[in-house]
Amino acid sequence: MTQLSRRDFLRATAAGVGLGAAAGGVLGGCAAPVKGDLARKSGRRVVVIGGGWGGATAAKYVRLQDPSIEVILLEPNRTFVSCPFSNLVLSGVESIDTLTFGYDRLRAHGVKVRHETATAIEPDTKRVRIGEGYLEYDRLIVAPGVDFMWDQVEGVAGRESTVLHAWKAGPQTVELASRLQALPAGGVVLMTVPPAPYRCPPGPYERACQIAWYLKTKKPDAKLVVLDANNDIVSKTALFKAAFRNYPNLDYRPTSKIERVDLEAREVVPAIGDRVRYDVLNLIPPQRAGAIAIQGGLADTNNRWCEVNHVTFESPKRAGVHVIGDATTGLPVPKSGNIANATGKICATAVVHLLNGKEPPVLAPGNTCYSWVSDREAIAVVNAYRIDNGKVVQIEQKLTPRAAVSVAQNSIAWRTSIWNDVLG
Amino acid sequence: MRTWSSGARLLLGATGLALLVIVTPAVAGPLDGPGAQKALVCSACHGFAGNSRGDTVPILAGADAAYLKKALSDYAGGRRPSPEMEPYAKMALHFGVDEIVAYFASQPRQATPVKTDRAAVQRGRAAAASCTVCHGADGKGDRAKLIPDLTGQPSGYLQNQLLLFKQDQRSPGDAQLKALKLLIQSLPDETLADLAAYYSSLR
Repeated sequence: MTQLSRRDFLRATAAGVGLGAAAGGVLGGCAAPVKGDLARKSGRRVVVIGGGWGGATAAKYVRLQDPSIEVILLEPNRTFVSCPFSNLVLSGVESIDTLTFGYDRLRAHGVKVRHETATAIEPDTKRVRIGEGYLEYDRLIVAPGVDFMWDQVEGVAGRESTVLHAWKAGPQTVELASRLQALPAGGVVLMTVPPAPYRCPPGPYERACQIAWYLKTKKPDAKLVVLDANNDIVSKTALFKAAFRNYPNLDYRPTSKIERVDLEAREVVPAIGDRVRYDVLNLIPPQRAGAIAIQGGLADTNNRWCEVNHVTFESPKRAGVHVIGDATTGLPVPKSGNIANATGKICATAVVHLLNGKEPPVLAPGNTCYSWVSDREAIAVVNAYRIDNGKVVQIEQKLTPRAAVSVAQNSIAWRTSIWNDVLG
Repeated sequence: MRTWSSGARLLLGATGLALLVIVTPAVAGPLDGPGAQKALVCSACHGFAGNSRGDTVPILAGADAAYLKKALSDYAGGRRPSPEMEPYAKMALHFGVDEIVAYFASQPRQATPVKTDRAAVQRGRAAAASCTVCHGADGKGDRAKLIPDLTGQPSGYLQNQLLLFKQDQRSPGDAQLKALKLLIQSLPDETLADLAAYYSSLR
């Protein structure tokens, strides 16, 4: 285990013990499960499940727009690690510490951050269950992110935790970076891209560039094979194709959905084409909305993603429950951090209006998305939207003409401001 | 783990103040002003209430409304080519550009937290004589002529704009900017960087 993940673990453990002691009234060092109402509701209350890009933003913006509303944010992790820019940790261009933040600044806004896991949503009684206990809400904002559909990957059952996805930034990112550093001469790195839709459409291709750049620079005899379940590069296609030409060590294979993984033989078998032997595997599994959204009955008939009202982000299936970020479907927007942030603000505004008996304003999200294709150059796509007959429609999409250092510099400005917007 | 920059702390200070203001209904806070909700999307890049914390994204807070409106119109029309801004400018025009620019114009400006190099600032001050003719000795510009206030803007943004003017990529063919571009084209890129640092350092 790396230094960072060890430190995080220790921090989480120490704090977890402290929390149990405070909440449960510990006798003999053994915390009793907390039952009943965990915090009696005295006024209007919004509960937010998930402290990522969408949830943290929503929690903050409810407080900013109406400080008389109590906001409780449920997030099991004690730190926020930015997925955007985490691919750069794999190439050593960026450190994970730079991408890691605490939640203290949200607390300064009056958000009550509880590092606990919501275990069930009970819309009929307007309660969120946390194990044996519960919290009541007037409006609930669910920002659960994605979960992995491991059942769709044959050969890893029971050993999911040993397969690195590194698709939720944190210890897995650091671990994948260290495995790349330990790659033997002439080694093969294998990355798999799941069928769309998944979190961060350009993310796998940015990652491919970062790993290929790292190998080209540090491991000249090694190569990267990318098995993409999709028929072509999903996002910024022409720009990534141009970038891939700089990496002769990158073997990109579209239409290569994986059929089976053989962890003993260190091989991945695609449905079409030759099996690939690997030294380091980065398997990005198929995805769906976070489990709490499925449990809460918010997902569609496939139990995958959540339909929402495009103006309020309220679920058509559960009154008073709103869903934002990667878990949503039906909007013509990518599953990106920027969209989660934008929809977090729109949803917060709608919730504040609804709790004050007012009509929510008609607002639309925007998306600015950068991808680094080397250690210094980036590309970008930008999408702007409007609302037409109650639905989000795209006004325009623009791409940068080519990879450039100036675009990478803009991405640094973007992250500085948006991290502040989410958590600051 | 990362600690927030001094700029971020500045923002918190302002936000704390905003909370106090919001609970007093008689006074408009940063999210109460006209256009505040329509401008929510902008804060991802331009910072809370238009106070960008990044180096290459300009601060909109306190900027002249007419200047901002022209900028958005130019971005939307391709006269200021920018893949990042063109879609958002069209979005602003769709949702109500007057309300949005009025919102940013009414926000108190916080100077950029991005540091400048002291030696570059001194060189820039020495090179700025020609700039003061239009932008004023204090760099605050002239609202009546849509000449922007440069003070406290991030130096990366100012430098990029100078380079765009030099290459005639910003507002090409604009007669009003002809003299400005001739002046900039007479200066080496290093001097443009110094000028950017100097104006960024002014308050």
